[in-house]
This record gives sequence, structure tokens and C-alpha cells, in this order.
Amino acid sequence: MTTARQYLQAIFNAKKLLIYTFLLSFFLYVMSPFAMILAKSVGKDWFGRKWLPPTLTLDWYRWAVEVAGIPEITKNTLIIAALAVAISTLIGIPTGWALGRRSIPGKEVLMSIILLPRMIPPICYALGVARIFYRLHLVNTHIGVALAHVAICAPYAILVLSSTFEGLDERVLEAASVCGANAVRRFFHVILPLVMPGILSSMIFTFTTSYNEFTLTLMTFGPRTVTLPIRTYLAVGEGYWEVTAAMSVILIIPSFIVLFLIQREVAPEKLVGGFKGV
Amino acid sequence: MRDFLRWQKRNLVTLLMLAPGLASFFGLFVYPILVTIVRSLKPEGQSAGWTLENYINFLSKPSARGVILLTFILAISSTLLSIVLSVPLALILREKVRGHRLLRLTILVPITVPGLIGAFGLLLFWGSRGWVNLFLTQFVPFIHEPIRVNYTIPGLILFYVWHYFPYTCITTLSTLESLDRSIEEAAAVAGANGWQVLRHIVLPLIMPGILAGSVLTFMAAFGSFSIPLITGGNYRPLSVEIYTQIDVFTPARWSMASAMAIVMAALQVVFLSLYMRILRRPAA
Repeated sequence: MTTARQYLQAIFNAKKLLIYTFLLSFFLYVMSPFAMILAKSVGKDWFGRKWLPPTLTLDWYRWAVEVAGIPEITKNTLIIAALAVAISTLIGIPTGWALGRRSIPGKEVLMSIILLPRMIPPICYALGVARIFYRLHLVNTHIGVALAHVAICAPYAILVLSSTFEGLDERVLEAASVCGANAVRRFFHVILPLVMPGILSSMIFTFTTSYNEFTLTLMTFGPRTVTLPIRTYLAVGEGYWEVTAAMSVILIIPSFIVLFLIQREVAPEKLVGGFKGV
Repeated sequence: MRDFLRWQKRNLVTLLMLAPGLASFFGLFVYPILVTIVRSLKPEGQSAGWTLENYINFLSKPSARGVILLTFILAISSTLLSIVLSVPLALILREKVRGHRLLRLTILVPITVPGLIGAFGLLLFWGSRGWVNLFLTQFVPFIHEPIRVNYTIPGLILFYVWHYFPYTCITTLSTLESLDRSIEEAAAVAGANGWQVLRHIVLPLIMPGILAGSVLTFMAAFGSFSIPLITGGNYRPLSVEIYTQIDVFTPARWSMASAMAIVMAALQVVFLSLYMRILRRPAA
């Protein structure tokens, strides 16, 4: 009897061990590349079969700032992302309101049509965007690159905002009116606080999409509008992997901040529709 | 009459509200697609005349079939592997094991960080001097030479899974968490063992979630561009092949690139609608 129990206990323990091995290898599979980038970015003379670099240095960061011009490029990236977020939000608020709260025939179809740019691979329309923008002299301007990003950011802003507005409870608005709030007061004190989380999450998602966007930027960038992903791509091609690693570390910080915000403020399953790999 | 006017005014307001969204959709998506279609029907480098030769040239090349096949192999196998990774992971994370918060955050990492950084890190990590090969050569017997992962098809699939499994995993996890536990308990009370509950109760119930998530993974993997661009080496799926036409060749082969882009978009639409049809079918 005791042996049988011990045997069962052993299987149970092994199962637990198996589960934790699985989880640990999953964690390492996802996260180790970043640890390795970090090690590469501060390491010197890291050749051959060594687990960690023998000497530490911050030279590659100096290179990234002085030679690759990271501050200038960060400025470009942030200007473009801010423009893309602003334009997408301005598009998303009225259109999201109409789709969320007004009766429109064929609303479902309209919604899935608006989401088409997220389903077709970006490279398929990036060619056309590039040709049009060349003709309009929008290539190599901040607003041009931002507009190209809007193609992929706006559908998502519309999706998030329309579901936010749809969730507004009519009874709350009526209650406000009954209590004597006029339209202006109702807007600022009732509607705005209720929809603010939705607007913020839409802004977070569009910011990340624009910040990470590569395909559409690659087709519309010029010397004056190099963004961080483009610079990283060029650096990989140039072969200075230590400098690339240093740039990647800088580039990744905002992403982790966003990740933290998402985990705290938004349900992760909303993300799935939000990001599209590039 | 007044009612009619009011009704019309209301419709006009709705239309005005929809206008910005429709403007961005038509201006930044439909118009570029139309430009691409027109370009693909013009002879290379000329603006006069209409021709189908770009499509014929592309599709009749034996290499084109290879490229399309490669794109599908990469997308389908990474989708299947994502399911294989996500289902056990979701089943474990549902139990709120120790460290499940950290792991949930980990799932989000690949879709939050720029794809290029992930690809670059993976190249370092799986490279011949990376930690994986260090581990294999030092701790696993009979392996003395580093294993080549980068710039091979299995390596590419591994990188695709890294980038795109979160879509499947998050959808599966959220379906699993909205599942009513009392159903499983009822089955257990009725005498089903753990495996039977999983096989006959849980899996059929979360199947729609798994499939919906895998559509997203497939879509992203099929259109993937930056990852094969820097990690593909000689293996170039459609997206990279399109970019090669305008980046490597001088003068740029815009018509050829456009024809390939249209073929790619069409393949995506056809495959997705097939997938949706299979999904809509009553559960098998």
C-alpha cells in the first residue's frame, strides 16, 4: 500500500517537474534573445565559446549616439508616432461614434471592410502608397511617413473606439439629463470620463503600431525621416552587431513601458486584434 | 415632411461622422491597391499600353512556385506549431501556477517589441556562437559542432513561432478562462478521468478559440516581412521577393513587384475565406 502511494506520489512529482521544465524552457525561449542583446551591447572582445563577454564597455552606446545619430532618429520616430496617433484618434472618434452608436445599414460589413488593411499583408499596398507619395512629394517628410502609418493605425483606432462608445450606457446619460446636466456638462462630466480609458488604450495601441511599423516606413522613408526600426535594419546590414545591440536596447525601452501599461490597464485579449506583426 | 427632413439630416450627420474613416480607408488603402493593380498591368518601365506579361512571367517561372510554396510552408507549419505550444501553455496557466503573472507578461512580449529587434536577438541567441549552441556543445553528449539554425527553413519556422504564437495563445487562454468549470466537474463526477475530460469536454469547447487565434497567427505569418528579410538568408518568401524586385534590381522592377503583390493579396484573401468557411462549419 505504501509503495503504491509512493509510486503515485513520484508520478505526481514528476508531472509537476515536467510542467515547470516546460514553463522554464518557454520563458527562456521567449526572453533569452533580449538577455543576449543586452550582453552583446555591453560586451567587448566576445569571441569564441564564452557564455559572457570578458570585458564590459559602454563604447557601443557612445557609438550609437555619436555615429548612428540615435537622438536625431529618436526625435523622428517620436514625431512620426505622435502625428500618426493624433491623426488616427481624430479619425477614430467620429467614425467610431457613428459605428458604435448610430444605426447604419450593413454595419457588420462596413466594419470588416474598414479592418481589411489589417488583413492584407502591408507590403501589398505599401508599393502603391510609395508610388502615390512620390508623386505628391510626401516621401521623406514626417507627415508623409505618419500618413502611411495611419493606413494601418486608423482601422484599429476605429475598432477600439467603436466598441468603447457602444459600451456607453444610455441610462447613465439619461440620468445625467434628468439631474439637470446640460449637453456641455454632460459631455465633460459624464461621457468624457467614461470613454477616456478607451481613448487612451486606442492611443497606446496606435502608438505601438506606429513605433514598430517597418514595412510602410521602409517604402516611404528618406534621409530626413529615418526611424528607429529602419536604423536598426540598416545597422544589421552594415554588420556592426555590437552597435546594433546597443541601439536595440535603446529602442526596446519604450516597448517595455507600453507592455507594463497594457498589463495594468487593458485586458490582454484586446491586444490580439490590436497588433499585427510586420 | 418634417420627419423626413429630420431623418435625412440625421443620415447626413452619420455620413459626415463616417467620412474621416472612409477617407483614410479609400485614400490610404483602396487607392494604393488600385495604383498597384494598374502598375501591374503596364509593361515594365512604360506608362503606355496594357499587358498581362508581368503575371505570366512571374507565374510561369519555376522559382515562383518555389517562392509561393515556401511562403505557405512557413505560414502553415508555424501556425501548427503555435497551436502545439499554446494549448498546453494555456491549460497550465489557467491553473494559476506559481509565476503565472510573469508568464502572461512573457506571452505579450513578442507582439509588443519591434519585430526586427526580436529577429536580431533570435539570430544572436541561436547563432553558432549563441547560448543555445554553447549549451548543446558543452552539456549534451555527442554534439561537438554548433548546429546551424540561422538561415535555414527550420530556423525560420522557429523564429516565426516566436513572433506569432501570442495571437493563438492569448485567444486560447481567454476562451479557456471563460469556460464554465462546472461542466468539467460534472464530467469528473460522472467518472471521466483527467485525460477524458480534456479530450472530450475541454478541447471541443475551446476549439473555436484555438482556430480563431490560429487565423490571426496564419495571417501575420503569411504577410511577415521584416523577419524573413533579416533572418531568411537565401530563403525569400513572397513579401521579401517583392521587395527584392524594387530594391536589388536597377532600374527597379515596379510592374513585376506590383504583379507579385496582387498575387500575394489574392492568395491571402482566398486562403482566409477558405479558412473562414471551415471555421463556420458546425463543429466536427
